[in-house]
Amino acid sequence: MKNFTRRNFIKLTSASAVAVAHSMSTFEFAHAAGPRPLPAGTPILVIVTLSGGNDGLNTVVPYLDPLYKSLRPQLAYKEDQVLPIGDGLALNGSMTGFKSLWDSKQLAIVRGVGYPNPDRSHFSSMAIWQSASRTPIKTGWIGRWIETQPENPFLAISLGLTMPALFQGDKRSGTVLPLSGLVTPTGMLAKDYAKTSKKTKLDGQLSATAARSIRDLFTVADVVSPILKNPAPPAADLPTVIGGNAGGESNLGAQLDVAAKLIAAGVPTRVWSVSLGGFDTHANELSAQSLLLGSVSNSISKFMSQMRTIGRSRDVTIMVYSEFGRRVSANASNGTDHGTSGPVFIIGERVVGGFHGDQPPLNRLKDGDLAVTTDFRSVYGSVLEGVLYTPVDRVISGWNDRLALFTA
Amino acid sequence: MKSEERLAIARLSHRIGFGPKPGQFQKMLKQGFKVSARQLLNSGLPDYGDVKAAIGITDLGAQPKPNSEALRPYNVAKDAQLRNMSLWWLDQMVGQEHPFVERMTWFWHGHWATSYSKVYEPLLMFDHIARLRKHAIGDFSQMCEELVLDGALVYWLDGQLNTASSPNENLARELFELFTLGVNQYSETDVKEAAKALSGLKVVKNSGLVTKEPKRSYFGTTTILGTTANFESATLARFLSMTAACQSFIPERLTYRFISPASSMMSIPMKPSEQKKSSAYIIKKAFATRQILPTMEALVSSESFKDPVNSQVKSPVEWVVSVFRALQITPSTCSQPDLLLTLLDTLGQRPFFPPSVGGWPADEAWLSVASTQNLIRAAQVIVSEGDLTPLIKVSKQERVDALADWLGVAEWSDRTRAAFDGALRDPARLTALAICSPEYLVSA
Repeated sequence: MKNFTRRNFIKLTSASAVAVAHSMSTFEFAHAAGPRPLPAGTPILVIVTLSGGNDGLNTVVPYLDPLYKSLRPQLAYKEDQVLPIGDGLALNGSMTGFKSLWDSKQLAIVRGVGYPNPDRSHFSSMAIWQSASRTPIKTGWIGRWIETQPENPFLAISLGLTMPALFQGDKRSGTVLPLSGLVTPTGMLAKDYAKTSKKTKLDGQLSATAARSIRDLFTVADVVSPILKNPAPPAADLPTVIGGNAGGESNLGAQLDVAAKLIAAGVPTRVWSVSLGGFDTHANELSAQSLLLGSVSNSISKFMSQMRTIGRSRDVTIMVYSEFGRRVSANASNGTDHGTSGPVFIIGERVVGGFHGDQPPLNRLKDGDLAVTTDFRSVYGSVLEGVLYTPVDRVISGWNDRLALFTA
Repeated sequence: MKSEERLAIARLSHRIGFGPKPGQFQKMLKQGFKVSARQLLNSGLPDYGDVKAAIGITDLGAQPKPNSEALRPYNVAKDAQLRNMSLWWLDQMVGQEHPFVERMTWFWHGHWATSYSKVYEPLLMFDHIARLRKHAIGDFSQMCEELVLDGALVYWLDGQLNTASSPNENLARELFELFTLGVNQYSETDVKEAAKALSGLKVVKNSGLVTKEPKRSYFGTTTILGTTANFESATLARFLSMTAACQSFIPERLTYRFISPASSMMSIPMKPSEQKKSSAYIIKKAFATRQILPTMEALVSSESFKDPVNSQVKSPVEWVVSVFRALQITPSTCSQPDLLLTLLDTLGQRPFFPPSVGGWPADEAWLSVASTQNLIRAAQVIVSEGDLTPLIKVSKQERVDALADWLGVAEWSDRTRAAFDGALRDPARLTALAICSPEYLVSA
């Protein structure tokens, strides 16, 4: 198995250094002395974006509240369909993996998360969540964090095809890695192509970014390609269900598998971004949402098991959020329209398991919508300080609140 | 030739068209910016004839029952229609001498951002784009009136699920936010009222026919943005298109895509004497009549359009189409048309598949390690079947300059020239390097 140990890394890059000596330009040499494998004990953050606006009320279900049944009769789960976790609340019946994490105190549920004057547009609200700014700005909160760190193309990796706004920095951004990995050109073309990535004074910001993406392609592909050929770490302690470990078959599972391989190999990545779409359940919500939540729950519990297998489970923290919750009442199509607050999940061994923040009361709705009881920036505040070891106001200017989400 | 003029012409060619065909850029340089702009903007459309008949876009009838024998041929026919219309559209972008109207249709596709991934009917998506094309440089109010009753759009935004007794606000909200007014220009009450006005629509899924069903419709007045009237889909759409907010919003969207995102956020100065110099003011003023062509004319002749700070990253479709134009490759008859569609999928931008109602992203979003690797891989295949005559016919020493004129690049940087040095003898490699260089990926 190829690992990102210092030794293997040097071997890997010196293999390319040989290629360089014949064909490649000097930047490859510069990188050979660059990134070191991530030391054991370094915290890793995995951000899971649920896009479309997840219906929080059918995720963390107030199943004992008579108002829950009377306000959304078509969509209300019954007691025997959900997984009770106390306080009159229960997890969606499909979230058995999360229930186990809850029982072992590795799941924190922050309730009623949102921001003042909720915006019901997918784009504005997702932009607010990803930028951590109420007014439109170009950079994402992780992008700004990236710029507080030394340049390292492995620092923050988003699995997919395009750059999420979350990772957008002003001058430097995170890296996008397709699930299928990266292939670089070979031979003479590689040598000349690498040259087009050199910095030049003529470059404006966009051409400089274009040039950097070519440089990073070579650096990242050299390291990542052999590792992706590894099998994913086994989820050794997870009970198997019929058909093998649940999860991992979905697209989210596939993204987490790639992250697991690279974490197992020691790639120096502090922040991962993965995502799952389809939560915009304007119609026929029950079955669609339950399938999606099952996939979230299964693939995350599988991932945590993989982390235990490789001895990184204490380092990893997962945060799951969506751009907004949904209306309390159903619409005519057995779905729900865009709403306001929703729960955020924080998962990990260093997490203070249990409920945080207040459940938005169903008898005090505002225009039919749930109240916001916790500002999302307070969640980011604890994550920035507890996982990324960065003072919150360096990333979110003027913000100083945080929750007690992590044990010391 | 002043370098500013060369830059402006390169922008004209790549942003208002889809990049030059061989020889076209030199011709534009000779004519100068003004004449070239006039020629491009007034080029119109060729007579397409009956496209549906030509490429076989038909009503396939209702979807067969699950597990029935008819299901497989039905799905095969759908896939074939989608493929044909995708390649047909790319062919138009690549093939036309002055593809301005197709460029605008492409812009509107990102604006009304309706995706096959949910509509799942080739005929509806074809008709949707045909409506955009019909009004692409015409009257924006008419475009709005037709689009709110377009089968694909209504279905995409759950308009057929919106009834008087239980509203679904999806279409109403996006009509305000994304199509006509922009964010923060309306209240939640406006959205609820608009949902009533738009209620009761029915979409016949296989034909795209949209009707209003009295039983499911709200009847009566609604109050929207302070105006009380008997609004229905078309009247509401026209009303919104005529608002002051819309007069700012559409010029901002055009500026965002054709000049730069930063430029679209420029505010208009308060002093009348300074307004005359403000590009934002000039473009907005041109949109007073809601006519799109004069608005684009104002945009192209504005200072911002030529301002060197307003560089822009080519999106994947723009990159592929401009490369195919220069290398004279026709999408539908190239050696691997399906690979081309897969490439666009992988790059994250395929016609008929906007990622969400917000349309495609811009600039840095396209400059990831992931897209870079796909471009250089694709470039190697593309140059192998392209016509490289513009390079082959000139001597080695002339090739770097010939490359810039052929591809419509304003200027090569020193590092890219250095990269070309080793490849001067190899036109294929030289071309692959050039089309993947920062200077080509970014419209300077």
